Amino acid sequence: MGNKTEWFKGIFPALVTPFTQNDEIDEDAYRALIRHVLPHVDGLVPAGTTGEFSYLSIEERKRIIEIAVEEAGNRVPIVAGTGAQSTRETVELTRCAKDAGAAGALVVAPYYLKPSFNEVYEHFERVNEIGLPIILYNIPQCSGSHFRWWTAEGMAKNFENVVGIKDSSGDLPFMEAMFEKVKGEIGIFVGHDEVVAAALAAGADGAILASANLIPDLWQKIYQAVQAGDLATAQKWQAEVQKLVRIVVRCGSTQAVKEGLGMMGLPVGDSRHPIMPGGAFRREDREELRIQLENLGKIGRVEREFDLDGRVVTSQYPAVPRTPARFEGFTLKVGEGFAGPPFQELAHIDLLLGVKEGPVGRAIERALSEERPGHEVRVITERPRTLLAPTVTVRTAKQRRHVYEEAAKGVVQAIEAEIGAGVLPEDGLDELCMIANVFVHPAAAIRQRVMFNNFKAMRAAVRKALEGRPALDELINEKEAARHPFRYAP
Amino acid sequence: MPIKVPWMKGVYPALVTPFKKNGDVDEDSFRELIRHTLPNVDGLVPCGTTGEFNYLTVEEQKRLVEIAVEEAGGKPVIAGAGASGTRQAIQLVRNAKEAGATACLIVTPFFLHPSDKGVYQHYYDIAQAVDIPILLYNIPQVMDAYLPRRVVQDLADIPNIVGIKDSSGDLTYTMEVLEFAGDRIDVFVGHDEVVLPALAGGVSGMILASAQVYPEVWQAVIKAVQAGDLVEARRLQRSVQKLSRIFCRYGGGVAVKQALKMMGVDAGRPRRPLKSVGGALLHEDRAEIRLELERLGKIESKSTDFSFPQAALAERFGDLELSASAIKEAKLRLGTGKVGKSPEWAQLDLVAGPKDSPLGDAYAYQLTYPLHRREALTTILEPNLTVRPATLILPAVEQMNLRQANMIYGPTQSAVAKAIVDALEAGVVPQTAMDDEVMVVLASVDPRALDRHALYHNVRAAMTEAIEQAFGGGSDG
Repeated sequence: MGNKTEWFKGIFPALVTPFTQNDEIDEDAYRALIRHVLPHVDGLVPAGTTGEFSYLSIEERKRIIEIAVEEAGNRVPIVAGTGAQSTRETVELTRCAKDAGAAGALVVAPYYLKPSFNEVYEHFERVNEIGLPIILYNIPQCSGSHFRWWTAEGMAKNFENVVGIKDSSGDLPFMEAMFEKVKGEIGIFVGHDEVVAAALAAGADGAILASANLIPDLWQKIYQAVQAGDLATAQKWQAEVQKLVRIVVRCGSTQAVKEGLGMMGLPVGDSRHPIMPGGAFRREDREELRIQLENLGKIGRVEREFDLDGRVVTSQYPAVPRTPARFEGFTLKVGEGFAGPPFQELAHIDLLLGVKEGPVGRAIERALSEERPGHEVRVITERPRTLLAPTVTVRTAKQRRHVYEEAAKGVVQAIEAEIGAGVLPEDGLDELCMIANVFVHPAAAIRQRVMFNNFKAMRAAVRKALEGRPALDELINEKEAARHPFRYAP
Repeated sequence: MPIKVPWMKGVYPALVTPFKKNGDVDEDSFRELIRHTLPNVDGLVPCGTTGEFNYLTVEEQKRLVEIAVEEAGGKPVIAGAGASGTRQAIQLVRNAKEAGATACLIVTPFFLHPSDKGVYQHYYDIAQAVDIPILLYNIPQVMDAYLPRRVVQDLADIPNIVGIKDSSGDLTYTMEVLEFAGDRIDVFVGHDEVVLPALAGGVSGMILASAQVYPEVWQAVIKAVQAGDLVEARRLQRSVQKLSRIFCRYGGGVAVKQALKMMGVDAGRPRRPLKSVGGALLHEDRAEIRLELERLGKIESKSTDFSFPQAALAERFGDLELSASAIKEAKLRLGTGKVGKSPEWAQLDLVAGPKDSPLGDAYAYQLTYPLHRREALTTILEPNLTVRPATLILPAVEQMNLRQANMIYGPTQSAVAKAIVDALEAGVVPQTAMDDEVMVVLASVDPRALDRHALYHNVRAAMTEAIEQAFGGGSDG
């Protein structure tokens, strides 16, 4: 019984669709991306949700499916995203995919207007008639409707071309119901990056993932470990990638993957509007994504020179394509770091970095020589000499603890981490100094978050100060749309 | 058959429960609160959601109802008597009746989510057990579930079920209840933000948290609606819209207690886990409550003298330890702009220059020791989108409260940021300045400024003027 195929298993990346500066499909970048992932994957998914299918014309969708087929060259199957809102368009796209040589079609539940489930069933019945193998696609986060298990079960059992289901909901009880009803009859794939190891261990046949653009090799490792019955290894790697994939899944998916690929040296442009940089993929997420890619060995280190007002030192720096070729101008560098949530425990750091003989060093020594009622400053580390100054007047014992213990701990650990990462040059630590002006909300309560948000904010502030970010184009592109959180009345 | 009761109309305050420092119910304050409110209301509601009923013991609830009855001077008292379980609710309703309550307000059973049948049986059992008029109570914000309309429709047949309080603010629900049960029971609106549309839709009255803060406004709204004067009714509703929103969305009874305190009625603190301020009610929103009460004339405004800096431009940066001669010597750029009408007018005095000038030192020093109540802030378009050249905003006058401070770190900061990037985009500020220079803006914003949007536009225009002066016509101010 069942329509299960041999080829629908393993790790399939939901490919992003690269765009050029003028918003056209960048075929070269797309081919480069496919070549980057191909050695590690069991199939490719062009024009899926991560591929921004909903922003593509029919011709563009057709074209990226063709290219994927061409590049894969029979080595792996192509599962083409062909979902659309209307049955008519879905049928047309699925026909195109068939003609282009796709092995199957990933068909999302019709969205926006929310058809009832008998209407959904008959939608897929029409698609079934085309004769191309179909993978049902449940992604309630976007489509607004969650497959009922009886709808999925009915389609799996009644439609001869339904060979699989991709469940991106992350709803494991739903997945368990699928295993109960149709395991072995169709391929059951997980599409939620945060629960891959759990789903595979529970019986999923494979995964279609946005983050498999970035780390196809690691997902393959997890898949293989589960196949070999080695759950400990699968769990260990899932934990290693958890933060990275949480950012991808929850914080802007396609833009996050695209910027991550850019950091790894595979430029694929930005998402099409209305998705934009610094939107759902927030700047603090970008800093974190970069650090996670560094930790996973996806961003390498290269030698960079630091001209510390005459004395040149070097460091093995985790550079991304936008990192300056050389660091100079250490009179005074300014960096801002903001990290949250939660609101009351957010961290906001204004950082000044410079050589000791400059304005930063002079301000530190002067501050230490003066009385500071309510604003006591402290040197929290000597390499580089770093002054912690509170933004808000410290009035209570709780605030004292939050600023001088928790936030200070986060800032010091961030400095150590940046020295370890090669961002702050070990050989320049005696020349450099910093002022970290830290904001801790008077109503903060969760000490661990105060510490950790300051850790994150400080790492971001150091990098932004050094690398001269944000850049002019970022400021200009986002000036009009920028959302200042305190501009509005409650 | 059900008979409507004559008192199901008008304005009822959902009274807060005052607590002493040690956490005990403060009976004296409760009486004082009732005396403050009574002249403008048609009845009282003790032990409702705003009254923190779920943090009260059975004995405390009974006592509060007794006091309300004593103080009500014959006006009806609708006692909150809801509970998660039916057995407990019946006990509370019996107690309320003994204490002399006119009716009981029974919230939809919560926490465990009973089926529609269970919900029906809950109200049915209570109505059978105690002979007292009962109000149903829909408040999905805290329940995470609606009292189903079909259940309401059936419950309305029970003779001693006389009304429903709908706090959802969801007018489609209100209209549905009026449609299917309005012939047998009366509907009270319980959501302060939609009183007027609910009245216009056909509800007969209201039970509101804000009806102990500005009951006279709600009385006037009822009057205007009855007179068919919708223009006046809208004006009145609009006059309390922001405060009502704060009460509804940012802390409920907690926010009401703060407002009462500002008005001189000590309603104490909430019981834990709620915090007086800094929890659901942010410090910033508390400051906003004060401003709105001032605007309504409920409390006196502390008018603050204000004037723009008058000295010659080069003399205005003494707080940065920059004298006119030092500015001249270092060839710093200067500019100023003043735009708008009182009180949303703004003056921006700008100094810009190289990082290795005295301005660089002043910039660094400001971040180690901000001026008291004039803490400088780094200009950002939004968090993590820092403007360059790096720019500090220094408030010209002391920030006496968070609401006033918010005008600086909200609309002012946002507008300064946009003006700077406008100037970068237009080439007025050269790209090289992003790395080589820093700027400090002395921002003079009137403490009486109310309208954030107007302020934002004035600051953006004033900052644009200041930048053009500083960067447009040579570097020497």
